[in-house]
Amino acid sequence: MIPLEYFLILSAALFCIGLYGVLARRNAVLILMSIELMLNAVNINLVAFSSRLAPSEFLGQIFAIFVITVAAAEVGLALAIVIRLYRNRTSVNVDEIDIMKW
Amino acid sequence: MNYLLFLPEFLLVILAFVVMSLDLFLKPQSKAISAYVSAAGLLVVMASVLTLRGQETQLYGGLFLVDGYALFFKFFFLALGIFIVLTSADYVKKYLTHPGEYYGIILFSVLGMMVMTAAGELLTAYIGLELLSFSLYVLSSYATDNAKSNEAGTKYILLGALSTALLLYGLSLIYGLVGTTSFEGVASALGAEGGNRLAIIVSLVLVIAGFGIKIAAVPFHMWAPDVYEGSPLPITAYISVASKAAGFALALRIFAAAFLPVVGEWRGILIALSALTMTVGNLVALAQKNIKRLLAYSSIGQSGYLLMGLAAVTADSSNIAANGILLHLAGYGASNLAAFVSIIAYFNLTGKEDISDFAGLAERAPLVALTLSVALFSLAGLPFFAGFTTKFYLFTAAAREGLLWLVTLAVVNSLISLYYYLMVIKQMYINPPAEPSRLRMPYLLNSLLVVLIVIVFIIGIYPAPLVRAIEGATRALFLS
Repeated sequence: MIPLEYFLILSAALFCIGLYGVLARRNAVLILMSIELMLNAVNINLVAFSSRLAPSEFLGQIFAIFVITVAAAEVGLALAIVIRLYRNRTSVNVDEIDIMKW
Repeated sequence: MNYLLFLPEFLLVILAFVVMSLDLFLKPQSKAISAYVSAAGLLVVMASVLTLRGQETQLYGGLFLVDGYALFFKFFFLALGIFIVLTSADYVKKYLTHPGEYYGIILFSVLGMMVMTAAGELLTAYIGLELLSFSLYVLSSYATDNAKSNEAGTKYILLGALSTALLLYGLSLIYGLVGTTSFEGVASALGAEGGNRLAIIVSLVLVIAGFGIKIAAVPFHMWAPDVYEGSPLPITAYISVASKAAGFALALRIFAAAFLPVVGEWRGILIALSALTMTVGNLVALAQKNIKRLLAYSSIGQSGYLLMGLAAVTADSSNIAANGILLHLAGYGASNLAAFVSIIAYFNLTGKEDISDFAGLAERAPLVALTLSVALFSLAGLPFFAGFTTKFYLFTAAAREGLLWLVTLAVVNSLISLYYYLMVIKQMYINPPAEPSRLRMPYLLNSLLVVLIVIVFIIGIYPAPLVRAIEGATRALFLS
């Protein structure tokens, strides 16, 4: 059986890669993809914990299913808003959406 | 199981779908009735909340709580929804399209907030939070052809999604540490566990960062001014009160009911955040030219005061800090709504929202100028206005928990805030108007303004009934 630590290291690595992507990427769609990575790190955590702590309860798995579903809805909504932005501004670079600052 | 305990939620879902589908059958010129249908429906839902008064039960083994705390906030959010729907009526007619969906989404966001406050475990709280957030993302970018609104929506959803990811990672670690997601279970497991402080601190930091973005605490506040400025005005009003109140309602429940055994780990973080938030918010507000941005920074400052209340929640104290948070949320909500309703009334007629555009408003629209002044004085915390009573209660609670230096900082910040609020009032009462014509306000907005002034003064002068209701509400919080 694979030790729990391996899952946690994997999920922590995914989370950090995602967080780096959010901070470093300038394209709104790539930022969204990075956020998806972070949410997948959460899912790995939940499922790994659930299978070790209480394999018969499925609490973590259920949580993960909700997270996946809500994340899908979130991406759909975010892409819709980004498309609106693209139609009005012909750019999805987050450095260029700066009408409002300070 | 008693399904009647779900009555407000069921009624609200039905109402939301009725409003959205009613829109399909209405002629374009009569679509405006959606606002009045929603308001009437919300009143009915409010009545159904009142029928549950005194209940102390839980559904689905503690997933969903029906207690004084949840019912208090449900009532608060429904009242807020009525005000927002009614103030939106003219604005939507003039500036937005698809009114049915607009009101429907507002109703869904109220439902999200109701689920958040009633949640007894992490997953339910998360679902409620997301329902609220998604609705607000859509609403903030609702003016689809307006570049500012698009920008606001994009910034809001990107940062909101990031905050959710941080919060969820923290929650997943907590689940791993304690093996359960119910608040009671988390509390008893954290109370028993001695080891792995580091893991607890890491997960608490992530949870606090996630909440920090939702309630716009410095250094997670960057989205707030832009979203406030870019969103349609009634939505700005809604976000400023709803997102903050719901965020604090959930945070208070989680910190008081689940994380209280490890209070030593999170208290310091909250104190630091609170000091930063109130100082940065009030100082940056001094430099603002746009009234929406000014109120955005002022509401960031108010978040700082509320965080101070949250940091004053301890295991052995009475509920006084929690009472202070609820009372200040009510006072802040009423004052901020009054400010925004008067700004909306002015914007509907002139389309202007810079502070300099408010010059001579006292001559052009005396009631609007009066309401805005009352609201700003109340936000600053002058006596006889709601803000004084609620701040007094909150600051006393924090001082009793030994946060004296933080309270001093909060008082200094209140004085700073008085300066920039007075600048707006000076524009309205002393500077001459650019054009002297009298503005004619619609009856509906006028009566809303009067109602809000009355609420602000009632909370300020005779808060006893509200305080009693709040004491009943927070009692439920610490029992569970």
